[in-house]
Amino acid sequence: MADTGRLRSTAVGAPGWVSPVTLLRVVIILTFLAVWEFLSHSGWLYRDVVPSLVRIAAALVDLLTHGEYYFNLGVTAAEIGLALAIGGSLGIVVGIVLGANRFLTKAYEPYLYYLGPTPKIIFFPIIIMWCGVGPESKVALGALSCFFPLALSVAAGMRQIDKVLIRVGKSFRANSWQMVMKIYLPAMRHPLINGVRLGFGFALIGTLLAETKLSNMGIGFLIINAYSTFDMPRMYAMLIVLFVLSIGANALIGRLGGIESIKRR
Amino acid sequence: MSAPAADAQLNDPVLSVDKVSVRFETREGPVVAVDDVSFGVRQGEFLSVIGPSGCGKSTLFNVIGGLLTQHQGTVSVAGETIDGPHKSIGMVFQEESTFPWRTVTDNVAFPLELVGMAKAERVERARHFIKLVGLDGFDNRHPGELSGGMRQRVSLARTLASKPKILLMDEPFAALDEQTRLLLGDKVLQIQQEIQQTTLLITHNITEAVQMSDRILVMTYRPGRVKRIVDIDLPRPRTSEIVSSEAFGRYVAQIWADLREEASRGMREAEDQVLHHQGAES
Repeated sequence: MADTGRLRSTAVGAPGWVSPVTLLRVVIILTFLAVWEFLSHSGWLYRDVVPSLVRIAAALVDLLTHGEYYFNLGVTAAEIGLALAIGGSLGIVVGIVLGANRFLTKAYEPYLYYLGPTPKIIFFPIIIMWCGVGPESKVALGALSCFFPLALSVAAGMRQIDKVLIRVGKSFRANSWQMVMKIYLPAMRHPLINGVRLGFGFALIGTLLAETKLSNMGIGFLIINAYSTFDMPRMYAMLIVLFVLSIGANALIGRLGGIESIKRR
Repeated sequence: MSAPAADAQLNDPVLSVDKVSVRFETREGPVVAVDDVSFGVRQGEFLSVIGPSGCGKSTLFNVIGGLLTQHQGTVSVAGETIDGPHKSIGMVFQEESTFPWRTVTDNVAFPLELVGMAKAERVERARHFIKLVGLDGFDNRHPGELSGGMRQRVSLARTLASKPKILLMDEPFAALDEQTRLLLGDKVLQIQQEIQQTTLLITHNITEAVQMSDRILVMTYRPGRVKRIVDIDLPRPRTSEIVSSEAFGRYVAQIWADLREEASRGMREAEDQVLHHQGAES
């Protein structure tokens, strides 16, 4: 079968016991936890700056057993999802248009490069005035944040498409929509998925940052709330959950790309 | 008065190329790539256009395929002048052109998908052409799992599946090794005989041209003009074994004599250009 290559590589990698790399990874995590616990009991740092692991665990349980947290998690997730959907689809459209047209690329791409790395949070005051303090302004900032990396990576991806595939499409008289759906997008699925991954990260950052600045709901709001009431165990618990969730989401996006790459030459 | 006469002479061509010229603007000034080329391809005929590198064969391929519209003169299919890719002309490219993310079946069904054919029907038609190019059993593989020769056959099947009146191929075997090229040539011959496909092949390979063609059009080196049209009067059905026959050798020698003149002129000009550049730089 075509899968023999994969089978062989797993056979070599796993002869029944833990590989040195995994071992090293576990060691560093354990070391980190030990140092953490030591610091929390040492009394060197002010009160709860480094709370004990037990208290963080208790806060985590407390967090996960209350509905309030899930509501706010839902709000944030919806904000990020919407931000990625709006900013992402705009970014893809702009990227395709720019990538397909050398003239437009010359005219407009510099703007993307200048605006791309600018921290979008500086636009937050304006966004607040336009969209208010509710979730809308968080979505707007998240969308703005993920638009640029996606537009840029799609534009670059468009230029990497094998020219002959475009000629094949034209020779079979594909219309613009068919060119996009059946040739451009699948041909650049790797840069596209990388772009979505980047965009997801930026949407996450933008949305959470906006929540911590000025808001009345969402995870960012809860975190900053815990911080201002100096409820450190709760704050750490929320950071841990957030960390795990974003890793999970990133892995999911990566997996979508991975399935496709197996089929590649 | 000349048009009907020419038509009669060409025996009602399916494809006619009439006084086509192409000029490119380059940094060294305008270059005439194709100059006043006229010929016709008859129904069911296999015509090869052969010429040295730089004779404008690929330019001609793009003009006939409708991918290059900046030209003088006209190209018409069954009397209809083309001004872009035409549904009656199916192109096979020199480069690797299968879609790596599609299975063989989905690759071959691509043109059918574009015209909105129902799934069951297009899969069935794709199957037929996959079988025709000898790839049955590989329907669900991805191009990445196939060899270069097999991938080129997928491209061929994909173009045939669109049922073009004229199959237009630009050195489809150029990237393959000699043995694969010969065997694929057999396959193309067999398909051509089976479905009476009108074919226009662009090539620089004399053996390939003589093996497959009814007529061969020899082009001159820049500007690309029609130097001669040679009728290949070899019996059909042919296979790659014909390569060793005496008549075959004569045709090859005859075309090589024409071609050598052009190729060496091309080589000299390329050398002169290099010398000229060196002179200008020092």
